[in-house]
Amino acid sequence: MSLPLYLAMMKSHGKMLGGFIYGASAYIVLIIWIYPSIADMQGFNDMIGALPESMRKLIGMENGINSLSDYVAGEFYGMLFLIILMVYVILTSTRVMARLVDQGSMAYLLATPHSRVKIAITQAAVLLTGLALIVGFTTFSGIAASEWLIEGYQLDVASFIALNILTFLTFSSIAGYCFLISSISNDEKKALGISAGITLLFYILNMAGKLSEKTEWMLNFSIFKWYDPIKMINNETDAFWIGCSLSISTFLLFMISLIVFKKRNLPL
Amino acid sequence: MIHVKGLSKHFSKGKGLFDLNFEVKKGEVFGYIGPNGAGKSTTIRHLMGFMKPDRGHSSINGMDCWNNAARIQDQTGYLPGEIVFLEGMSGLGFLSLLQKMRKQETTKRRDELIERFQLDVKTPIRKMSKGMKQKVGIIAAFMHDPQVLILDEPTSGLDPLMQRVFIDLILEEKQNNKTILMSSHSFQEIERTCDSAGIIKDGKLVALEDMYLLRSVQRRVFEVKVKSENDMEHILRSSLDIEVKGARTVHVTVQGNDQEFVQLLSRCEVQHIDTRPQDLEDIFMHYYDRREVEK
Ligand SMILES: Nc1ncnc2c1ncn2[C@@H]1O[C@H](COP(=O)(O)OP(=O)(O)OP(=O)(O)O)[C@@H](O)[C@H]1O
Ligand SMILES: [Mg+2]
Repeated sequence: MSLPLYLAMMKSHGKMLGGFIYGASAYIVLIIWIYPSIADMQGFNDMIGALPESMRKLIGMENGINSLSDYVAGEFYGMLFLIILMVYVILTSTRVMARLVDQGSMAYLLATPHSRVKIAITQAAVLLTGLALIVGFTTFSGIAASEWLIEGYQLDVASFIALNILTFLTFSSIAGYCFLISSISNDEKKALGISAGITLLFYILNMAGKLSEKTEWMLNFSIFKWYDPIKMINNETDAFWIGCSLSISTFLLFMISLIVFKKRNLPL
Repeated sequence: MIHVKGLSKHFSKGKGLFDLNFEVKKGEVFGYIGPNGAGKSTTIRHLMGFMKPDRGHSSINGMDCWNNAARIQDQTGYLPGEIVFLEGMSGLGFLSLLQKMRKQETTKRRDELIERFQLDVKTPIRKMSKGMKQKVGIIAAFMHDPQVLILDEPTSGLDPLMQRVFIDLILEEKQNNKTILMSSHSFQEIERTCDSAGIIKDGKLVALEDMYLLRSVQRRVFEVKVKSENDMEHILRSSLDIEVKGARTVHVTVQGNDQEFVQLLSRCEVQHIDTRPQDLEDIFMHYYDRREVEK
């Protein structure tokens, strides 16, 4: 890794990253803040209960809202945060590799005495640091908001942190295949399109898989099968093994990216 | 210093490089000339280790350009043909990033070059004109005082004054025993700086000569306008290659017989004289004609 390049890249990504961090943190604070009024509202769970089951599954409220944890996991981690992280990972992975090759500035980075692998590791580090920062700030904001902003409702900090670690690992894997696509592409737009296409397909398969028992098989083809925030925050999943397999697939995907990038022709 | 042996690379539609062979010795300035799409930049991409040859290989300072690309960069300065910098930086920001990546501490040489090219380095790169970017690129290639310089069309975008500054810089580096390979479309530009030149066309090296020889076969066409019909007759009677272009105007082609040409003009009253730029194809064609004749 080249530290000067890493810092320069972090700086030039700073604005965009700041936007994502701000968006995610502000939103989690907001929904935690309004939680007491929803929980106190008579009949809210009845209303949810009146919805068809597939609908409830889809919006992450199979059993209604029973705790702050369920609510945060279902409403934020299962929906908006997923989309924020998807967008960030797809955009950034394309930017750190394919864009530089497409535009040609990669030539300058490779004209310094750093190997391709070293440059690519630096770029991967930028991508993963950004992801870690978004998840990290969100975790912190979530805990802070539940501690200080509202009273009478508690977030189980340990399982909340576990959920966030799994979230980070899930999106690291997504970052892994997006980075791989970015590393083999000469065309920024193409890389963006393919990464977005695959991820969206996973997302749709996930949604469709949850709709009914007939479509449940679709889940098997989606990376989001491993990602069930409500179960995760209630410690109903095998967090350790899921975490391990996500880490390994992330590692492998990035390794393959490095090898492919090292061996390929660059049209610089 | 720079060796290219049997270098071949095939692209679709019969494009690419075909069995290139040349060598640039230490302390030599090598001009690499060819029309658009001839394969100059492609060759340079191989030297920089961006592309892997299908056959053959190239090396700089004994190190293979593909396998040792990173190590070679220690002693190499590169100016890309199409310069694109990282986004969101000023010229100075970009240069100092490169310096830090090279672990280079001193800024003396850099500042000297900035001064020399009169570059306003504080300008954000996206607001820079083509020439300004070219200057940043040149400074980036020279500032770490590399032993080998690989320059792809270095003067494109520079105004005539800055082209002079650049040529002086090249001559100075030549004095310092640097090895330089530069590509160009223009024979004139190469002529002033290079010791030898390679001419590439459609991916094949069609000529590889020292500059002295190339210069001797270079044809120049002069447009001459004389005062009177008398002078005109005088000119037409000479043994030079002459083409009448209008009233009292002729094109005289000079190739190695400069002396004869000057003597002829001294006997006439010349109103106006101008050189006609010659395109590369012309130069090569005649280069070949001449070689056939010699055989
Ligand atoms: N990556 C590539 N894939 C396919 N064809 C390519 C690739 N790179 C270059 N070419 C083709 O190879 C030929 C040589 O291109 P190159 O850029 O080397 O020309 P050049 O001599 O530098 O021309 P110019 O004077 O315009 O810069 C062109 O016809 C180009 O289209
Ligand atoms: Mg070119």
